[in-house]
Amino acid sequence: MLEIKNLHVTVGGKEILKGLNLTINDGEVHAIMGPNGAGKSTLSYAICGKDGYEITEGSVTYKGKDFLDMNPDERAGEGLFLGFQYPVEIPGVSNMNFLRTALNSQRCYRGDKDMAAVDFLKLIRAKAKELDMDPEMLKRPVNVGFSGGEKKRNEMVQMAVLDPNLAVLDETDSGLDIDALKIVAEGINRLRASDKAILMITHYQRLLDYVVPDYVHILADGRIVKTGDKSLALALEEKGYVGLGITEAA
Amino acid sequence: MVKILHLENPEIGKRFEAVRSSLTGWDQAWLDQLRAEAMTRFETTGIPGPKVEEWKYTNLGFLANENFAISNKARQQTEIKTLFDRAHMENIDGPVVVFVNGHIYPALSSYPDGHGISFAVFSENCQAFHPSLANIEYSSALNDLNRAMVTDGYSLEIAPDVVLAKPIQVIHIVTSATDMKLLPVRSQIIAGKKSKARIIETFIGAEGERYWSHMVSEVTLAAKAELSLVQFQLQGKQAIHMTELHTKVAEKANFSHISLQLGSEISRTELLNSFNGEFANVDLRGAYLGRIKQSHDIFTRINHDLPNCNSNQLYRGVLDEGGKSAFQGKVVVARDAQKTNADQSNKNLLLSRKAEANAKPELLIYADDVKCSHGATVGELDSNQLFYLRSRGLDEAAAKGLLVEAFVSEVFDDLDDEILRDKFKEKAAGWLAQELPS
Ligand SMILES: Nc1ncnc2c1ncn2[C@@H]1O[C@H](COP(=O)(O)OP(=O)(O)OP(=O)(O)O)[C@@H](O)[C@H]1O
Ligand SMILES: [Mg+2]
Repeated sequence: MLEIKNLHVTVGGKEILKGLNLTINDGEVHAIMGPNGAGKSTLSYAICGKDGYEITEGSVTYKGKDFLDMNPDERAGEGLFLGFQYPVEIPGVSNMNFLRTALNSQRCYRGDKDMAAVDFLKLIRAKAKELDMDPEMLKRPVNVGFSGGEKKRNEMVQMAVLDPNLAVLDETDSGLDIDALKIVAEGINRLRASDKAILMITHYQRLLDYVVPDYVHILADGRIVKTGDKSLALALEEKGYVGLGITEAA
Repeated sequence: MVKILHLENPEIGKRFEAVRSSLTGWDQAWLDQLRAEAMTRFETTGIPGPKVEEWKYTNLGFLANENFAISNKARQQTEIKTLFDRAHMENIDGPVVVFVNGHIYPALSSYPDGHGISFAVFSENCQAFHPSLANIEYSSALNDLNRAMVTDGYSLEIAPDVVLAKPIQVIHIVTSATDMKLLPVRSQIIAGKKSKARIIETFIGAEGERYWSHMVSEVTLAAKAELSLVQFQLQGKQAIHMTELHTKVAEKANFSHISLQLGSEISRTELLNSFNGEFANVDLRGAYLGRIKQSHDIFTRINHDLPNCNSNQLYRGVLDEGGKSAFQGKVVVARDAQKTNADQSNKNLLLSRKAEANAKPELLIYADDVKCSHGATVGELDSNQLFYLRSRGLDEAAAKGLLVEAFVSEVFDDLDDEILRDKFKEKAAGWLAQELPS
């Protein structure tokens, strides 16, 4: 599904990712953990193609296609979804209108026709319900005035509607209360399928209790420094990064 | 001193003398005299030059240099119909008043009538315009030039307590022809006590045509009257479009003006309001979109001479490569005008480094117990918002379009008429779709 080789990324003149390798196969769920400032969000932006994240070396291949050659919207059309660590507020654009435009843009990219308005309405209502989001919030401008947790839940509604093949979720669990965490975890689990893959970035073991990953990686100083299974997250929870011999300047 | 600030063009006076005996209502002595007096005042004042502060952003040089022909009545029916169809909102089945090249066009018009409505057209009934033409309270160079040369216009008087069920559409069409045309048109609107009405005015013209459309409107609202004036400016790309609107608003009356500036090479919108009763409200808002040599100038002046009145101004501008704009908004709160609420907000979005927006809100407050605010910004599209949208699949043009639409929609989102809201949206979206980079 996704193959990242020797990825070097420079942001604002500073090298943040320094030769990162990561392979995610169909059906797998990976988790990335790592100290603050290690470059986790940088990795998610680089996968997504954000301006200002300069790839100086390496490759990112998605289903055999060179991702680095594509715009962010083309990557979305190919089936990528990024759940933002800090979802962006867009005043004046309703959630509903935003999502309908997004969905139809992706369908257009794939050569499908627009979804009929009624069908879309049914779909979005169902997804909002699954994620326990008040339908009134669909009419509000995107993320404007949403609480931290509501913003994260909104990301999950978007993911559910867009139904991506590869979801990169950057700290989707941060800021959620205990009940919301369960609801969001169920949302992520619903996406699990043999032809899909998920990359979760998180600081906490708790999410991994609900969404059990196949692999856990530790990203420090711009590289994956350790890879294991679920037990690595438990060890980390117990001992911390320093206890595992990982320092900021690893 | 006057001469340094003002420009002259003796050709205009000569032209006036040449056409004087063929102007609308030429055979009525009172009118001919008012016209001549207005022309004398215009010639004495001269044309405001770029050093006159109020005219800093709209260069009237063309008036000094070009020779105008008063528009003739040459008519091309298919062209008129095409332009009419673009302007006319047929899903609003109210009265329609159509002017073509500054002259009433009865074939497409159905005048407002009914109980309590007095409607007149200048070329059919000059006398009805006597009050406005004789009133020199609002005299200014361009107003006088308009008064001297006026070809046509409309007068609407609504009796007390009369509520118009349907808005009145007024459509000004300019067809293609070779000469630069001068199109001086006037309107006067008197809204009686507790009356209620909406007028939708659309200005539309042939592309590539150079003409000067100049409209002077005088509006009076009696106590508790409600009047909404909506203006769509869709002039041809080479046109010069100017409107000068004077409003007088009495006790507890509500006046609202909402405009969309899309067309013309040069546009100037002047809105000049005074209150003559307390607890009255004035709401002025508009969006202007410009690119490639286009310049839009919004000039407002609100005088709060009496206590307890509210004024609100909300203007949003979007300027793409080569577009320019100015918002000069002045609110003057006199010493006795306590409990005044006055807000001014002007935000501009630049889509290119080669675009320019000038924001000059101005508040002069001489009273102490007032609530006044003004804010003005000039900025670019937010790159994080753009990325967020693109990460969800919208291509660059669609993402920009959505953000720009959201930016201007603040102007018309509160409109109580869905047909009008959709029209604003459709026109703004059409502008965006035209030339944004894809
Ligand atoms: N525009 C920029 N200019 C300079 N440095 C930047 C820029 N953007 C990010 N960085 C730096 O890159 C490093 C990695 O940031 P990143 O957001 O990827 O960290 P992270 O692993 O996601 O951290 P956290 O766990 O706190 O979310 C940080 O040191 C950050 O300060
Ligand atoms: Mg981060």
